[in-house]
Amino acid sequence: MTTDTSAPSETAPEPAMVKADLLAGLFFILLGLAIFYGAWTMDRLEVRRIHPMTVPGLVPGMLAFALTLCGGILAFRSLRTPADGGWRQLSGAVFSVAAARAATVMLLALIYTLGLVGTLPFWAATGLFVFAFILCFECWLSVPRKPWLKSLPWALGLAVVTAIAVTLVFERAFLVRLP
Amino acid sequence: MFDGLVMLGGGLAHFLTPMSLFNIAWATLLGIVIGALPGLTATMGVALLVTLTYKMAPDQAILCLMCLYCGAIYGGSRTAILLSIPGTPASAATTLDGHPLALSGKAGTAMGLATTSSAIGTVVGIIALALIAPLLAEAALQFGTYEFFWLALFGVIISGQLTAIDDPLKGYIAGILGLLVAMVGMETLHAHQRFTFGISALGGGVDLIPAMVGAFGFAEILGVMKRTAQARIISSNDRVVPRLADVFRYKWTTIRSGLIGTFVGIVPGVGEDVGAWASYAAARRVSKEKDQFGKGSQEGLIAAETGNSAVIPGAMIPTLTLALPGSAAAAVLIAAMFIHGIRPGPLLMTENPEFLYQIVAILLFSTIAMLIFGLTLTRPLLTVLQVPRERLMAVVYVLCVVGSFAITQRMFDVYVMVGFGIVGFILREMKYPMAPLVLGIILGDLLDLNLRRGLLLTNGDPSPFFTRPISAVICITIVLTILMSIPAVSTRVRSIFTRSRGDTSAPG
Repeated sequence: MTTDTSAPSETAPEPAMVKADLLAGLFFILLGLAIFYGAWTMDRLEVRRIHPMTVPGLVPGMLAFALTLCGGILAFRSLRTPADGGWRQLSGAVFSVAAARAATVMLLALIYTLGLVGTLPFWAATGLFVFAFILCFECWLSVPRKPWLKSLPWALGLAVVTAIAVTLVFERAFLVRLP
Repeated sequence: MFDGLVMLGGGLAHFLTPMSLFNIAWATLLGIVIGALPGLTATMGVALLVTLTYKMAPDQAILCLMCLYCGAIYGGSRTAILLSIPGTPASAATTLDGHPLALSGKAGTAMGLATTSSAIGTVVGIIALALIAPLLAEAALQFGTYEFFWLALFGVIISGQLTAIDDPLKGYIAGILGLLVAMVGMETLHAHQRFTFGISALGGGVDLIPAMVGAFGFAEILGVMKRTAQARIISSNDRVVPRLADVFRYKWTTIRSGLIGTFVGIVPGVGEDVGAWASYAAARRVSKEKDQFGKGSQEGLIAAETGNSAVIPGAMIPTLTLALPGSAAAAVLIAAMFIHGIRPGPLLMTENPEFLYQIVAILLFSTIAMLIFGLTLTRPLLTVLQVPRERLMAVVYVLCVVGSFAITQRMFDVYVMVGFGIVGFILREMKYPMAPLVLGIILGDLLDLNLRRGLLLTNGDPSPFFTRPISAVICITIVLTILMSIPAVSTRVRSIFTRSRGDTSAPG
């Protein structure tokens, strides 16, 4: 039993995580209070003479209370945990290469979903998205960067194949409608 | 008992048609590929496949989904062994011993043992499913409104507790957030619209499938693309088909891990990853070769792989009999069953008893398929692992968009997917587990409806929630679970136990 440090390890929390917990805790407190307000002011359907213990706002109110409580504990615990340089580490994580990569995926995905789908035909939007995604991550954000000429045929080919395959497979073979 | 065997025979015969066998083959193979690709998980695969099976007959659709699920949980072991990256979270424990085995030139042995252990684990779980599910379904007929309220709450709490062992508080928060998501839309008791803010698309609430595709698909894509480093594949040319002596050398570990996995599966919302870790920890505790664990122990590999595969049939027990999902992927299966007009729950055994045995048959068939593919297709699966993720993830995102759109054909669901993906990614980065969130979305309605219906039945008196025997037991379990998750309480309780154990062992 001495070496019982199985996978979910019990290492000391990272300073950045402690600070992130503080922010998350405060956010959950605010969210909980807002939902509680919404539940409290929710229509109690007195006109329909329902039993006062069965009002629609009952469970959301209880859950909001629980969320506020948990958020409070999280924030309180985070305040009591020493975390030297936590803010610096946290801002470092937010502005890191990894975060930039994730943000790029989000941006591409949002442009595709909110902008392209609906304005262009689905196959065209899809092809464009796949093409941009591959080029972005192979020729720009990867270390080392791949040469354009090597990635371009792949990106083009895969974009065309995906656009055609997705449209054909879903619409023809599986009879699913596409956006 | 005899009835059960006859129906099991019926279930097996039902799927012995060329069409079904074809479906079993492709779905299991697709599952293995999805599991093997890092970043594609079983839950995501099942959620995306729901779209494709939309127009199929109900039994064939569930067949494909279950086979994909089994295949994916097994497929993750390939990546764990060769790349030291778990292909799905379920095979995280497999990396500990699987990869060292590969490094010492025994990749084939490791892959072979992972295959046979997964198969045996599933079989142990299948036996438990066939034996326990009918009994539980019968017992569940006694459950009323009060019990279902507690069960729903228990599901969310236990899932929050066990999927975030380091920090149960985050598990609880994830669970509460899921329950709150379920509060959006029309409530079922008085048909009042809650938190819709005048948006008509929110009236029906947030659909589970788009939410899951977001939380397990898009969030996973973000997580995978965030990393820059690529792992290197370690492989060797030793034999893949294991010797029987190797398989049966650790038979007790296998059986124990199978039972632990099944039990973990039964616990609502606690999935394959916990099953693997729990059986791995148990195997190490009793093993004679403790020091080998983590350095390439075959026993550790067997324990992890048996444990995670046994969770699948185990998870089907509460899924089918109580409609409480035993794992995240089982939550998608419940949604898929509803789409296809199958109602899981206590009435399943009276309304549709063959279905349970069809599930048992499906699991058996997919185990056989997994065994065949796993032991023969070593080379092709190696090429799958070499697919660059930049190219793969772009296509996967397109599938996420199609998958969330196709079910109800609203762009709104695609926005839900994107929203859940981004929020899910941020929550994951801050170490919040996703399983309780999903379980909350599924169980929120059950919890809300049964609490208020119970209060309505008793005219506002909450006492039956605490005085009915089954209710009281579940309630006490919940309270104890929460208390034990508070560090101050649990260390004190543990110190009492260790002290008393120390006292008794001291004279000897």
